[in-house]
Amino acid sequence: MATRVFEETVLPHLDAAFNYARWLTRNDSEAEDVVQDACVRAMRFFSSLREDNARAWLLTIVRNTWYSRVSRRSEVAESTAGDHDRSERADDALDPEERLLQQYTVARVRGALEQLPVDFREVIVLRELEGLPYKEIAAIVHVPIGTVMSRLSRARERLLTLLTPSDPMGRLP
Amino acid sequence: MSCELVERDLSAYLDRELDISAATAIRSHLAECVNCRRLVAERDALGALVRSAPYYPAPERLRARISGRTSRSRLASRFLPLAAAATLLVSVGIGAAVMRLGPATSTAMVDQVVDGHIRSLMADHLFDVQSTDQHTVKPWFLGKVDFAPPVVDLSSIGFPLVGGRLDYLGGQPVAALVYQRQKHTINVFVSPEKGGDPSDAVRSARGFHVHHWVRDGMSFWAVSDLNDAELTQFVRALQTS
Repeated sequence: MATRVFEETVLPHLDAAFNYARWLTRNDSEAEDVVQDACVRAMRFFSSLREDNARAWLLTIVRNTWYSRVSRRSEVAESTAGDHDRSERADDALDPEERLLQQYTVARVRGALEQLPVDFREVIVLRELEGLPYKEIAAIVHVPIGTVMSRLSRARERLLTLLTPSDPMGRLP
Repeated sequence: MSCELVERDLSAYLDRELDISAATAIRSHLAECVNCRRLVAERDALGALVRSAPYYPAPERLRARISGRTSRSRLASRFLPLAAAATLLVSVGIGAAVMRLGPATSTAMVDQVVDGHIRSLMADHLFDVQSTDQHTVKPWFLGKVDFAPPVVDLSSIGFPLVGGRLDYLGGQPVAALVYQRQKHTINVFVSPEKGGDPSDAVRSARGFHVHHWVRDGMSFWAVSDLNDAELTQFVRALQTS
């Protein structure tokens, strides 16, 4: 019976969990491992769930699971943003024609998102792809709402730079 | 209100996370400042672009591993009788009067609405009629239910209609209208209801938000995993359409 309640609570949010893990890890099989581990933990901590917030609860566990895996391998330091801006420009290696063609493709957007430091990437994914309100993002990421706001704002500035060609005539929209 | 303030709060403004007075101040500044309008348009375009990034759904094998073997058969045994009942009801035609859905927003009812929503996503049976045209979706219900659900397209405000299907709630046939918001699905269950409370009642269950209201003799249940601010915006638009 407990298993059934667990499944009915968790399975509807499995896509959200996987999407989040996939963007955190940028890798299919690692994302699968993270989600599977997270579900094992979720089952163990099932009693900590507040009835009305299953998705945020599961996403928090996904994030913690991922975090403890990467910190074991001490990759967090490289992959997080810190609080310093680095200026980056996408696809400098491509020739101009290719660059033009790829400009607004899904691949390009994915590339830009994957280039973002993980602190920025995750708030963009939770906001733009998952559509979560700031309050829930703050709970999942364990930071104050003001920090969510400033990270989103800076992440978007970064994305604008990454997705906008250097030619000022070609700026969005 | 200065351009610097607009720039500072731009993200929160576009995410509809500012309080009303701050949002109003920005709006009135925008009416006068072409530079800030350009900034907003640019960020709007960026948002649309970012939302075109891939959404990675859980692979089937992962879902299977987590749900375990037993739940698969349990799922089938749980939903098959329902599907069979649905087919039977459709084939004999629905002559019986549709009864009230019962006490407005009882927990049991909210549960059924959420179940119906999940079922529509899991069983890969989101539509019986897939169309973005309200003039196709509305007549599709003719002869399948003995009422005419109001069907409106809200794509102008970012909630395109994507289809409709026949569903069951509380043992009664209901018209299910399916809307999309970015990558989120919204199910709206419509059935006749006499009286009832016209005001919007909101509940949450298992991470989904559920709205219920009654209007012009029809009961509406809107359910989605969309954040509640946007779902509320959708509900307001439906109520005033």
